[in-house]
Amino acid sequence: MPVRSLAPLMPMTESPAMVHVLDDDADLGAAVARMLARQGFVTQAFDDPAALLAAYPDRTAHAVVTDVMMGEWHGFAFAERLRALDPHVAILFMTAWPSAAHAVDSVRLHGGIDYLEKPIDEARLCASLREGVAWSMERRAAARRLGDLSPRERQVFDLMVQGHGNKAMAGLLGLSPKTIEDHRAAVFLKTQTQSVAQLIALSR
Amino acid sequence: MSASLSTPLAPRPAEPARPGRFSLRVFLPDQGDWLALALYAVGFAAMHRLAAYWGGSGFYSLWFPAAGLRLALLWRRGARLTPAIALVEIAVDVTLTPAVLAGVPWTVAVWGIARPVLAYGATIAAIGWLAERRGAALLTAPMPLGLALVLAPLVATLSAVPQALTSPELTGVTGPREIVVSLAAFAVGDLLGTLFIAPPLLWLADAVAGRARWRWPLPSILAGIETAGVLGLGIGLAELLARAGLGMQPAPVLVAVAWIGLRFGRAAAWGALLVVVLRVLPDTAGAMDTPERLQRHLALATIVVAGYLAGSFADAQTTARAMLERRDRLLFQAERLKTLRAMSVAVIHEVSQPLSTLAIEARHLHRLTAGRGDEIADGAALIDRKAEHLATLIRRLRRFGGHAEGAPQPLALTALMDMVATLAKAEAREAGVALSITPVDPAWQVMAQEVELAQAVMNLVRNAVQAAQGDAMPDPVLVDVTANTAQVVIHVVNRAPVPPVVRDGMGIGTHVARAIVEAHGGTLIRTHGADGMVHAALSLPLIESR
Repeated sequence: MPVRSLAPLMPMTESPAMVHVLDDDADLGAAVARMLARQGFVTQAFDDPAALLAAYPDRTAHAVVTDVMMGEWHGFAFAERLRALDPHVAILFMTAWPSAAHAVDSVRLHGGIDYLEKPIDEARLCASLREGVAWSMERRAAARRLGDLSPRERQVFDLMVQGHGNKAMAGLLGLSPKTIEDHRAAVFLKTQTQSVAQLIALSR
Repeated sequence: MSASLSTPLAPRPAEPARPGRFSLRVFLPDQGDWLALALYAVGFAAMHRLAAYWGGSGFYSLWFPAAGLRLALLWRRGARLTPAIALVEIAVDVTLTPAVLAGVPWTVAVWGIARPVLAYGATIAAIGWLAERRGAALLTAPMPLGLALVLAPLVATLSAVPQALTSPELTGVTGPREIVVSLAAFAVGDLLGTLFIAPPLLWLADAVAGRARWRWPLPSILAGIETAGVLGLGIGLAELLARAGLGMQPAPVLVAVAWIGLRFGRAAAWGALLVVVLRVLPDTAGAMDTPERLQRHLALATIVVAGYLAGSFADAQTTARAMLERRDRLLFQAERLKTLRAMSVAVIHEVSQPLSTLAIEARHLHRLTAGRGDEIADGAALIDRKAEHLATLIRRLRRFGGHAEGAPQPLALTALMDMVATLAKAEAREAGVALSITPVDPAWQVMAQEVELAQAVMNLVRNAVQAAQGDAMPDPVLVDVTANTAQVVIHVVNRAPVPPVVRDGMGIGTHVARAIVEAHGGTLIRTHGADGMVHAALSLPLIESR
């Protein structure tokens, strides 16, 4: 079966790129937000990490650009909390106190997309942000499609991406091969995929 | 206290033969030495004559100023002149008193003349060697000179013991008592000679060479009164004791000069001793029987040694205190630098925050107004350009001031040497010294804190430039980088100044460099080559190049 890319399968009615900007310097936060708005992002500026976290469930974003040193809050601690709320949001750090150790940690430990030194390099911020938003949209679409599966279909999906055949799955789940066949078809239908390879891509 | 006190009051002995390839040519006098040796021959002959007035039993004089001249010359020009000086003394002795050769094999006679010179040379070389290592507080300047003045005569006396025991006929003394008296006379005569003649000669030589770092202290009136009072009291007490029939007792005068030495240093002690000696020597010259004269000179030698060593010790204390003060000041400065650095980091942070906003808004404004072609557009473009310039500047400044402490990063040696070249070229040009930095293989990298390591290399280069600076035609300072599989070595090479300059610094630069290098897991080795070059080698472990 030919493997096709996932991109064309994404819903055409994709929402615009939502970005939150967080900096305890409200002027800078607002300036960055306006700058990003001019680049086509839908932005909102926050100057308090707690306020952003409180508002986030109602106003999710594809990406959050956050300062690292914010009074009592460290950007990395904030990133942990945000990640717990939304595993599919891209996070970018910007700082006036750059260090090599922080730069590495921000990407490796805290899932940051990039680590930018102030004063901000605009071109680099926009490029990284586009990358982050694309990644987030992809993750969300995948999650949405998997979310439609029933519990049994989800079990079948998990076994399929591990490479099990129908017979093996029937044995493992205690179902008839025919039932497995039906669940398989439902999985392909609901996830809008046509091959196991696409399913594996979705499961990552 | 002036900073000049941090330097020794007298020049250090010329360096002993350097490690490395040893050559007998070291002992050959060089250009400047010939004149000194000629003057020495004349001075030695004159003083030898003078000594005859205080002739002791046998061969030796109880006041032998030539010893002081000899020690001053050795101290000033280095122990390497020992053989040349011995030859001069032999020539002078044989010419003036051919009788020395009479009745003994000439080898024995020549050895008898050369032996004290060799003893002096060996003592000075040993003290110079010890002082180079700066081990003990006892070797803080001017203590090495003080020790040489006292020890050289004693070593020379000891060296005479075997001959005195085995062939007494040479000196015309027989019997153990006679031998002891004769050797005591030898020691006393030489001690008085070294302690009285050498210091003023060395001061004079310094003054003539323009190297006197030591201004004749204008004594305060109170200090003068105290010195005179204490000395007068001591001499008066001694007279009183003598009149009371107790004989010549050195104790009161000894306490007095020791007091003066400890209170006011060498110069004052020497002055007081001069008074004492002028009081004693005329009495003991000529017709006085040897035991009486020996006794007086022994007492005099005791006073002179104690007084001079007390003065030297006081001066050494002053030097040490000045060094400590200077070190304290440096530490204080280091603290200030640390604070400044912290401040600069804070300032960079504080500036970068609003500057970020400004730069973003300025760019937007610039774009908005780009098509207008009026003054507002020009102004917006200018603001944008300046904001961008400032932003670049802040990022660059942060590299110097703002790095997290002690976070070593892979550093290309090319980058390091570029930084050093930028900083050092200007300084070298100002000092009139050529600085040659050979190109570096860009593949070589070390784990380093860039700014600290640059500081270490800079200190070495700065030292080298300062050392070269004194010469009329300074040789260039060479900086070179080599590497093998495990480590990279930065070499800084300069010609050692002759005579060795006593720099204002105290080697703090080298200490700092060594501390930095060792914190980076490397070593710093300084060697003096046989070719007269000083070579500092800074080794660091090489890391895999990317």
